[in-house]
Amino acid sequence: MNVQFKKGVLELCVLVLLDKQDRYGYELVQRISDQIEISEGSVYPLLRRLTKEEYFTTYLQESSEGPSRKYYKLTDKGREYLHELIAEWHEFTRGVNQLIKEGEHIE
Amino acid sequence: MNKKQFLQQLDDSLQKLPHDERRDILQDYEEYFTIGLEEGKTEEEIAVSLGSPRQIGKELSASHQVEKAHTTATARNVMRAVWAVIGLGFFNLVIVLGPFIALVGVLAAGWAAGGAFVVSPLLVLFSNLVNWGTFQWFDAFVSIALCGIGLFIVIGMFFATKAITKGFLRYLKFNASLVKGGLRHD
Repeated sequence: MNVQFKKGVLELCVLVLLDKQDRYGYELVQRISDQIEISEGSVYPLLRRLTKEEYFTTYLQESSEGPSRKYYKLTDKGREYLHELIAEWHEFTRGVNQLIKEGEHIE
Repeated sequence: MNKKQFLQQLDDSLQKLPHDERRDILQDYEEYFTIGLEEGKTEEEIAVSLGSPRQIGKELSASHQVEKAHTTATARNVMRAVWAVIGLGFFNLVIVLGPFIALVGVLAAGWAAGGAFVVSPLLVLFSNLVNWGTFQWFDAFVSIALCGIGLFIVIGMFFATKAITKGFLRYLKFNASLVKGGLRHD
């Protein structure tokens, strides 16, 4: 898939994953790369940017296995933004699906 | 590439960032390596899955430069931001450098015209000193009128420069986020 396009979707994926619970960076990256092929390193710049935009806050928490991990928590502003993105996504996929359906019809 | 090499390359490409931020970024990636190793991956595997540290560094630097130019829009900061965004890829070379050169050209032309108008009385004076005895009142009045118009142009250019700089920075920001994270709505 096109790289530019995928990076936009990445933002949506990260926000969705943080909607129900706080997660740390590694976990986010793994969850996403289980489903979509991504360049895993590009998630951190995204996390930093979204944190600066105040969509997340971060905190450190000790883990049982080793050093403390940085957790990301969705803010109200972030949740609002997520809902916008989801609405856009549905609209977008609906449009594309419609086009695909029409295309198949002609053949 | 192992962990040390990855972090070293990333650190090298983050030299323009403030110390605190750089350390923070490196910590993020270190954490990533640590957890990956706990899960039984090798350093090499993790480095490969992360992608190019230089590209990551470029993205982070560009984002930082644009942010900085936004808060303090000095000519130097703006130039740096432009270069950083251009560095993200060939795509940006075309859609950033083109408008940038055009805007700089328009602004330079405006300032040059305004400046020339303002100093036109001096030019008349100078010309009369050089070619003594060719003085004409017409020249003097026209040059004074031009000087007045020139002052308005210069004042106009001052605000135009400010507005264009601001607009262009927004475009840069939009552009950097387009490459990094798709379209966003502010």
